[in-house]
Amino acid sequence: MTKMQDEITPVVGNRSLTGGHYLLSLYSPRQARATRPGQFAMVRLPGRSDVLLRRPMSIYEVAQRSKHSKPEIIRLLYKIVGRGTRMMAELKPADRVGLIAPLGHGFFEEEYLARALEADEVLLVAGGIGIAALLMPARELAGRGIRATLFFGGRTKNDLAGLADFRRSIRTAVLSTEDGSRGHRGYVTEPLADYLHHHSKKRFLLMVCGPWPMLAASVALVQRYGHPCLVSMENRMGCGLGVCLGCSIRVDGTGHGAYERVCTEGPVFWAEKVAWNAEAPPKV
Amino acid sequence: MTASGTFGYGREFARLIDLNRLGGIVVKGISADPMEGNPPPRIYETEAGMLNAIGLQNVGAKKFLTEKLPFLRTLETRCVVNVFGYSTEDYVRCIEILNAGDGIDAYELNISCPNTRCGGMVYGNDPKLTEEVVRASKRAARFPLFVKLSPNVTDITELARVAEGSGADALSLVNTFVGMAVDIETRTPRLSNLTGGLSGPAIKPVALRMVYQVAQAVKIPVIGMGGIASAEDALEFLIAGAQAVQVGTANFYAPATAIDIVEGIRGFCRRKQIHLTDLIGSLKAAAGSAV
Repeated sequence: MTKMQDEITPVVGNRSLTGGHYLLSLYSPRQARATRPGQFAMVRLPGRSDVLLRRPMSIYEVAQRSKHSKPEIIRLLYKIVGRGTRMMAELKPADRVGLIAPLGHGFFEEEYLARALEADEVLLVAGGIGIAALLMPARELAGRGIRATLFFGGRTKNDLAGLADFRRSIRTAVLSTEDGSRGHRGYVTEPLADYLHHHSKKRFLLMVCGPWPMLAASVALVQRYGHPCLVSMENRMGCGLGVCLGCSIRVDGTGHGAYERVCTEGPVFWAEKVAWNAEAPPKV
Repeated sequence: MTASGTFGYGREFARLIDLNRLGGIVVKGISADPMEGNPPPRIYETEAGMLNAIGLQNVGAKKFLTEKLPFLRTLETRCVVNVFGYSTEDYVRCIEILNAGDGIDAYELNISCPNTRCGGMVYGNDPKLTEEVVRASKRAARFPLFVKLSPNVTDITELARVAEGSGADALSLVNTFVGMAVDIETRTPRLSNLTGGLSGPAIKPVALRMVYQVAQAVKIPVIGMGGIASAEDALEFLIAGAQAVQVGTANFYAPATAIDIVEGIRGFCRRKQIHLTDLIGSLKAAAGSAV
C-alpha cells in the first residue's frame, strides 16, 4: 500500500487467450518491483470520458524482460465483461494506460504469514477470472518450498485461462467445469469438499478468489473443518484509493466499523471477518 | 478545492499528489455521531458519470478531531469540514464538537445529500428548514459557514437567497442529482438505496447553469462544482460567476486533477494577460442575442 504510484504506462503486449480472456502487459518497473502477491491495480483508459472510472484488476504477475533483470512488467489477466474491458481488449503496443499500483493488502501481509506457514498444505481455490489473483501467491509459495494444490473451476473449459502458467509452481491442479467440458462436471467447491473430507487430519491454509457465491460456498465448507482461509474479494470500485467508500463490504467484529473497504483494508481478508450472510456486493 | 466525499480526509492522497498545492480540502461529511453508511451496492458507473449512494459513512465528529484533523493541520492547505445531521439540533451538536478543532478554516453545511432517508436534502428543499438550520448553525459556528445547496429543487435561487439571508458566508453548489439505474436482467435497481446521486462530467452543463443563476441572485461568494475535470471546465464556472471551484468525481480517476486545474488556470490567465479576479463573473452576452 505504501509504495503505490500513479503512472502512465506503455502497453507492451495485449494477448488474446481462450474464451474472451486477455493478458495485458504494461511496462512499469517501479510498480512491478513494489507489487506483492494479491495486490491490485486501478487501470485508466486515458481520454475516455464515457468510461469514466478506473477498473480494478488483480495483478496477475510481474515479469522481467531478461533473465537477470529485476521485474519491469506488470501483467493483468482479464476477461471481457463490459464496456471497460471491451476497450481494454483493443489496446495495442505503444498505447498508454494510466495505472495506480500496487494497491491493497495482499496474501502475505505480516498479520497473515505466521498462521499461513503453519499449514501442512496450501490450497488455492479459484472461480473463473479469480485465478488472476492467485498466480503470484502460487509462485511466492513455491519460492518458499511450498507447492500448493490448485482447485480451479469455470463454466466451461474456456474459462480456465492461465492454467498453464501455474504448472511449475503447484503440486497439482484439480479442475472443474459446470458443463463438464474439462475435469469434474460441477462446481469447484465439490472436489474441494471431497479433498477436505478425505484429508480431515491435515491442517490446510486456503487462499480463495472468485465471485461472491463461490467464495461464500467455499468459506462455508472450509469453516466446517476450521481451516484458516484467506479470501480475495472483488467489488465495483470508484477510486481504489479508499476515499469513495463505494467498495465497502459488511464485516463482523470491531475495528473500522461495520463496513470495510475492499480496496484498502482488503482485497484479502480472513474469511471469518467477512459477513457472508450480508448483502452480496454486485457482480463485477 | 477538492469536494466533500471525493477526497477522504486528505491523507489517502498524500502519496499521490502534493496536498499543499491545493487551495483547500473539503473533507468527507461529518456527523455528530459515527455513521455506517448504506449496504452495497453503493456505486454504479453511468454514461460520463456515476451514481453513488454511500449513505454518509463517516467516523463522527469526535474521532475526526482526534484521528483525522491532526494530519490536515500539518498542511498549508485550507481545511473545510462538511457537516450534516438529521435535525437542526444534530447539525448544531456536530458544529459544537468541531468548534474545539484548531486548524479548521470553515464549515460546509450539507443540506443537500440525496442518499439518507431523513437527512440533508429534506432541509435543502424547504426554505423554512433551510433558514432554521443555517441560522442555528451560523450562531453555533466558530468558523465561517458555507452552505452546500441541492440541485434537486425547482428554483435554486430561492434557497440560495434564504441561505444568504440566514447568515451563510458562502454557497457551495451543486451537490449530486438524484438518479437511478436498473439491471434489466434481474429487474433490480443497480444501487441498494434504489436511487443515488449522479455526479461527473454528465452533470456539468446543468450545474453551470445553476451556478450562473445563483451568482446573479446573491452577493456572497459562490463556490462552483459539478463535473469539473479540467481547467477549461473550471474557467467556465469562474466566468459564470463562481469565486472558487471544487473538483469531485474526477479525483477518483485522476487524483491530480485539482492541481492540474490550478496550473491550467494560471497558464490561461498568462496567455490572455488577464487577472483571475477579472475573469470571475465576466460572462458576456452571446453574439446576436439578449442575455
